[in-house]
Formats: sequence, C-alpha cells, structure tokens
Amino acid sequence: MINKKIAFPSMVHIRRIFGEVLTQFLNYLLILFLGLVIGAIVIFLSGKDPLTAYAALWKGAFGNWYKFADTLDRSTVLILCGLGAAVAFRTSVFNLGLEGQLYIGAMAAAIVGFAVPGLPKIIHIPLCLLAGIVAGGLWTLPVSYLRIRWNVPVMVPSLMLNYIGILFTQYLVSFPLRDPDAGMAGTPVLLDTARLPKFIQGSTINIGFIIAIVMVFLVYWFMFKTKIGYELRMVGYNPNFSASAGMPVKRSTILAMLISGGLVGFGGACIITGFFGRFLASFSVGYGWDGMMISLLAQNNPLGVLPASLFYAALANGAMTMQSQTGVPQTVVGMVKGAIMFFVTAQVFVTYFRGRMKKWKLTSTG
Amino acid sequence: MAEAISVKNINKEFPGVKANQDINLSVNQGEIRAIVGENGAGKTTLMNIMYGLYQPDSGSIFIKGKEVKLHSSRAAISNGIGMVHQHFKLVPSFTLGQNIVLGMEPQRMGFVDNKRINQSVKEISEKYGLPIKVNNLARDASVGEQQRAEILKALYRGADILILDEPTAVLTDMETEELFEMLRGLAKQGKTILFISHKLREVLAVSDTTTVMRLGKIVGTVQTSETDSCQLAEMMIGRDTVGGRMRQNGVHPGEVVLELKNICVRDERNLLAVKNVNLQLHGSEVLGVAGVDGNGQEELIEAVMGLRPLLSGEVIVHGKNITHTSTRKIRESGVAYIPSDRNKSGVAIDALIWENLIASDYYRPPISAWLSLRQKEILQIAKDLIQRFQIFTPSANLQTGHLSGGNIQRLIVGRELGSERAMAVVASQPTRGIDISGTESIRRTLLEYANRGAGVLLVSADLDEVLALSDRVVVLYEGELYDAGVVDDEVRKRVGNLMTGSKEGCINDK
Repeated sequence: MINKKIAFPSMVHIRRIFGEVLTQFLNYLLILFLGLVIGAIVIFLSGKDPLTAYAALWKGAFGNWYKFADTLDRSTVLILCGLGAAVAFRTSVFNLGLEGQLYIGAMAAAIVGFAVPGLPKIIHIPLCLLAGIVAGGLWTLPVSYLRIRWNVPVMVPSLMLNYIGILFTQYLVSFPLRDPDAGMAGTPVLLDTARLPKFIQGSTINIGFIIAIVMVFLVYWFMFKTKIGYELRMVGYNPNFSASAGMPVKRSTILAMLISGGLVGFGGACIITGFFGRFLASFSVGYGWDGMMISLLAQNNPLGVLPASLFYAALANGAMTMQSQTGVPQTVVGMVKGAIMFFVTAQVFVTYFRGRMKKWKLTSTG
Repeated sequence: MAEAISVKNINKEFPGVKANQDINLSVNQGEIRAIVGENGAGKTTLMNIMYGLYQPDSGSIFIKGKEVKLHSSRAAISNGIGMVHQHFKLVPSFTLGQNIVLGMEPQRMGFVDNKRINQSVKEISEKYGLPIKVNNLARDASVGEQQRAEILKALYRGADILILDEPTAVLTDMETEELFEMLRGLAKQGKTILFISHKLREVLAVSDTTTVMRLGKIVGTVQTSETDSCQLAEMMIGRDTVGGRMRQNGVHPGEVVLELKNICVRDERNLLAVKNVNLQLHGSEVLGVAGVDGNGQEELIEAVMGLRPLLSGEVIVHGKNITHTSTRKIRESGVAYIPSDRNKSGVAIDALIWENLIASDYYRPPISAWLSLRQKEILQIAKDLIQRFQIFTPSANLQTGHLSGGNIQRLIVGRELGSERAMAVVASQPTRGIDISGTESIRRTLLEYANRGAGVLLVSADLDEVLALSDRVVVLYEGELYDAGVVDDEVRKRVGNLMTGSKEGCINDK
C-alpha cells in the first residue's frame, strides 16, 4: 500500500478535463436548441412562422455591422451586471440588489457628468465612472452591516434596497434634478466632456464596451489568480472551512458586496455616459435582473459572462426587429430565456452526460 | 410476561463497517430496556432497523411472536412501533397539537378540525400523564415539551413500543427526571420502552434491563437491579487493557506549548457546554481527550481555535496569551487544527485539491506574492504534500470531492502539518469514518509529529484510538474535564468510569 504511491497518469487527467469541457459545450448547445424549440412552438401556436421570426431576430441582432455593433453596445451594461453578480454569487453572497445598485451608480455618474464643468475629457470620464463604482459599492454597505451585525441573510435586505434605490433616484430625477426641457423625467444632459467616445460611425457603440471586455478578464484574474479572490471563492464554497483555516469570512462578505455593487454601478455609469447621455427615470429594462441570470448561465465564471451577455444582448436587440417585422411579440424572447434558465439551473443534461462519460471511461480504460 | 418485540440474527453492513452483527434481542411488554454502548457501537442502526428506516441485510423481526417485515417507518407505525429521534421533527410554526396529529388530523367537511385536535390530544395527554400546552407553537415550546409532543405523536399513532434515541441528551436534569417519571408511567400502562443512552447513571435510574452493545455486537443483557455502573462500563468499553498500542511509553514531555486556563464556553442553546476546563499540553506529548460525543469536545476545541466565543478563561500558546484573537493569529502563533467534520470544516469539497492544500498558508510567501497567487510554487508545494502524505490522486488540479474520505483526511493533515511550523496540534476525531490503512497512516503521522517535539491534543470519541496513541488521558464528561492519568494497564477502567459518569466510584442506585 505504501509503495502504491501517486501515479500521475496524465491521460486520465486530460480525458477528464476534455470530458468536462465537452460536457459543458454539448450541454449549452442542447439547452440553446431546446430553448429555441420551445419559443418556436409558442410562435407556431400563435399562428406565425417560427423560421421567419427567428430570421428576423437574427437580422436584428447581427444583420449588418451596425446592428452587430449595437448588440455589442447593448451587452456593455449586461456584462458589468453579470460580473457583479458573478463575484457575489461565487462568494455565496446572494446580492439580489443589482437593479438598485445600477440606478444609484447611474445617478452618481450622471450628477458628476452634468454638474462638474470645466474638466478635460481625460479626467471627467474617469471621474464619472468612478462615481458610479463608488456609489454602487457603498449602496451595498447597509446590507453587509445587517449581515455582519445581526446575521440577516443578504438576500432579503438587498432585494428590499432595490426599491429604495430605484424610487430614490426617481424622486431625484422628478424633482430636484429634473431638467424641465427633457420630455420625460430626466436629469440635464451630460457635458460633452463626460460622454464616452464612440468609435464606429452610425452605431451607438462606445469605449464602454472595450472597458467591459477588459473588466471580464480583470475580474477573472482577480477571482482566480489573486489571494483575495481565492479567499472570496473559498468562503463561497464553504464558510465554515474558511473560518477554521483562518480566513476573514466577514471581511470577504463585505468585500464581495462592495465589488459586486461597484461593478454594477460601473455598468450604470457606462450606460449613462455612453448611451443615454443623461439619467432617465426607469432607464433600465431589468439589466440588474438580467445580470443575475447571465451569471447563472455562466455558472458564475467571469469568462462565461461575456458570451452569456452577448447572447442576452442579441436576444434583446433581435426581439425588437422580430416584433416590428413579423409581429411576433418580444415577450416570446422572454419565454426562450426562461426555458433556457430552467434547463441551465436544473443541470439536466450535465448529469446525463456525466453518467455517459463515466460509462465511456470505464469501458475505454478498463 | 409476554414478549413485545424481538429481533433474530440481525446483520447490517455499511460500506466498510459491520454496524450490526448477529443481533438477538427480546423485550417484554411493559419493560423499560436501555441500550447502551460507545459511539459507533451500532445502537442507532439497530433502532433504525426496528423502526423500518433501514433494512437489515439478514435476520428477522418479530412483534408479539409474529414475524413482520418493516419496509418503512409507516409499516413500523402500523405495527405499533413509535420512535422519538434525538433531533425532534416538529413543524416549528404549528401548534404542538397540530404537530401531534400531523398527517392524520380529525377533519370536518374536508377541513382540519382544530377543536377536535385539541380535544383528542388532551385526552391522550391526560391518559398517559404527559402534560403539554396544546395551543403552544412548537417553536415556542421548551425542549422537554417538544419531546413530550414527540412521544405523544407516537402514542397518537397507536404505538405500543416506543423507541427513544438518546432522549436525555438535550434535556436539563429537571427535565430528565420528569421524563423518567413519565416513562415509568407509560411502562405501567403496558407500553414497552427502548431507549438509547450513554449515561449510565440514567440507565441505572430508570431501566428494568440493560443491553450493552460494542462494535456492532451485543455484549450482554443484564437486570439493571443486579448491576452497577462499573460493570456496565467495563462491558461497554471492553476488558483488554490497551490493545494495539502505537505509542512507546515513557516519553519525556517538553515545555508547555498549549495551556488552557479556566475555560468556559456556551453551546448553541446558550447552555454551559464547557465548564472551567484547565489543561496543559507539553511538547513531544500526545494528550488524549476521551469522552462520548457531545460532552463539550466540539465547543472546547472551537473556542480554543477562536471559532466560538470564550465565555471566560485564557488560551496560552507557547507563553503567549492568544485569548480573543482571531483564528489566523492563533494559527500563526503555532497551532495546527484538524477539525472533526472534514467535509464541513476541513475542506471545501467543490474546490480543487491544491486550493484546499494552501488554505492555511495562501496569504504568505512563497505561495503568494503581494497580490497574486504563485501558480508554479503552489503546484510544487501541492505535489510535495501529495507525495509526502500519500494523497492518492492523479493531479492537484482535481476537485477535492473526487477523493475518498481517507484521502481527504490525509490532505487536511498534510496541509496542517506539512509546513512543520505548528508547535501544538489540535486533532479532533482525526480518523473518524475512514478506512484502516488511512487510519493507520494518519495515526503514524501524528505520532511522528509529536516525536519531533510538538504537542498533540488528540480529541476522539474512539477510546481505542485515544489509548493507542496517547501518553496521558483526560476525559470530558458533561463539559467537565477529569484527569485519567498516564496510560498504563489500569487506564482503560479509569477512563471507562469517567466517561460514563461514575467518577466517584460505582453507582448502582435503583
């Protein structure tokens, strides 16, 4: 027994990793397919042709370079919200307050954007973004305090804080900060020095998207390659274990919330300074909620957030074209998303494939 | 008297453990039968078989002389068997009355009839002398009252045979007295009672007969009036002095590495779980802490490691007072910690093996640079630990959950002892539930570590383990620490008496 030391049979190892990647790939492919099939059935039942509808959806999302760029632009805020959710969920901190943090971050960025004149672009833009990050992050502190002080589960207060955040910004934009010239409840237009530069003529895409991509890799690096990220992940896996290993469990909770809220606030700042150019009441069509779904879809992996966000953005942009061209309502897309979420969270196929893999391994190695 | 229930030749095996071997047991109607034995003696397995929760691998069960097959607890209930588990299974937001009738509520026009619930519950409550407040919510009821509700729940379902799994473990002394009074009353009305216990004082006080189990077998059944606690203790823990001794005698202890002064700790229920414990652990010494599970071991260790607040007292490591500092500070001052529940506190089962291997050292060089983790160094260290501690895995990059229990435990030991910085090792149940070869290698590692000058505090409910490894043994009983002295030929008897609660000589009051 003593001599039966450690084998390093690389084949088994490689096969295992390969099997896992293959499993996940097949899993997502099947889920995507099934989601679309369910959507197709619904479209068919409502008397429309699913194929034309999906063709319109595709055209709306990727039909030409501008559409494609618009889809990328739409994904910016989704990526940052998805990253925010991923950091929190990885730490097993169930921050459901993304939507509120998004509004607060957006409002802070807007205020700095229109109320601080005389700055060069190179300072004004970072300042706006920073305001969004800081505001979104600080907005999580009451939740962390309740968690640390009285052991209140993060879920409920963070969820409640959504309403406070959203309605508070709505109040600000309806009364003290309202621009009477705006058609709807909105702040004054941001100064030009606060607007994110666009780089494709004819598209709304701006450097916010580039920043978001950089953030994907930055957050990945932070979570998987740094010691604080390691701490967060270990606490997320098992707080009891982390505590007995001597890790600062409470600090990790606070930090995960701060980073999560900061990333989401960053997203709010990007969409205001990049797309809208002013804070508008109810500007978000559930980006915060989508962020959570995206993170779940990505299995809380920052790298997975990128494709998942692009997928969500494509569905959102494509759905508009689909509705205008074929009369199939946008809500069908919601159904597709719902079905996909169901299959992802149920992990139906992964379990199935793992079983198959095991059999395959047994027969091929045995 | 008529036989109420009996089992013949029951065998039950779990992976790696023969939990029950050739069990024969017969209990008469109206009898109070105590089942005693150490942790892991097979008592609970046997009771679960009698209640239909487990199926025996072989053997048969007879109720009133008729063979029955108990495929489920439902079958057991319909055969008149009721069980009260150690952890109560009540719906916290229901009243006690509703809990008692749960699943067979009296109805009126399809609705639950609360009036009749209260009425019928009151009836049986009075009939059997188990007072409860029917309308109290379960979550507001005292522990004793919850237990009475559990007993009534069984009686309401027509139980003639009551199985109680460590009924006194959660009770105060007063509540225990009341419980015994009720049990005697029930027996007088013809109910048959089997109860599991570790506490011989209680067994002697209430039971008619006592069956002793050890290592999955029945050692014997005695009339309680004709025995005393010393005889039962000896039956429970065996007669052989010290079998399989791995530690050489006569080790010279070094200076004190870990000292506990007047430690008091509360448990989750806010009761005093550790009472004024004083202890000195020397270098090169293995100090065994024996005792039945749940006598304050967990609370004591967690308090020492800074994972649970100390009510009072001081923890001193190497002359440095580390009371009320953080777990990290305590570890940095030279304490390694092997927690009792490896999956709960020893590893993150979903993390990779290397991630678990660096969990107590990840924040300092060479593993960590200022900000980032150094992958190359980590893999080197992980490979080294995997090799040295014989963790059987193809790679450090696998999920820890793929490892067997023994491998996970070696991983934990490797992490804690691999850097060889710790001067005191707190090892709690280090070999619980792992195979023989794993047990062997972990015990050897601990002893080697002590031989190199560190002190090992070995907390284990496995008395054989404590006696095989320790130089000196102390016993925790109901939160108090008793010294059983150095390991010699008489130590087993001394420890046995201490851990079963007969510290001031043998008890035989009836």
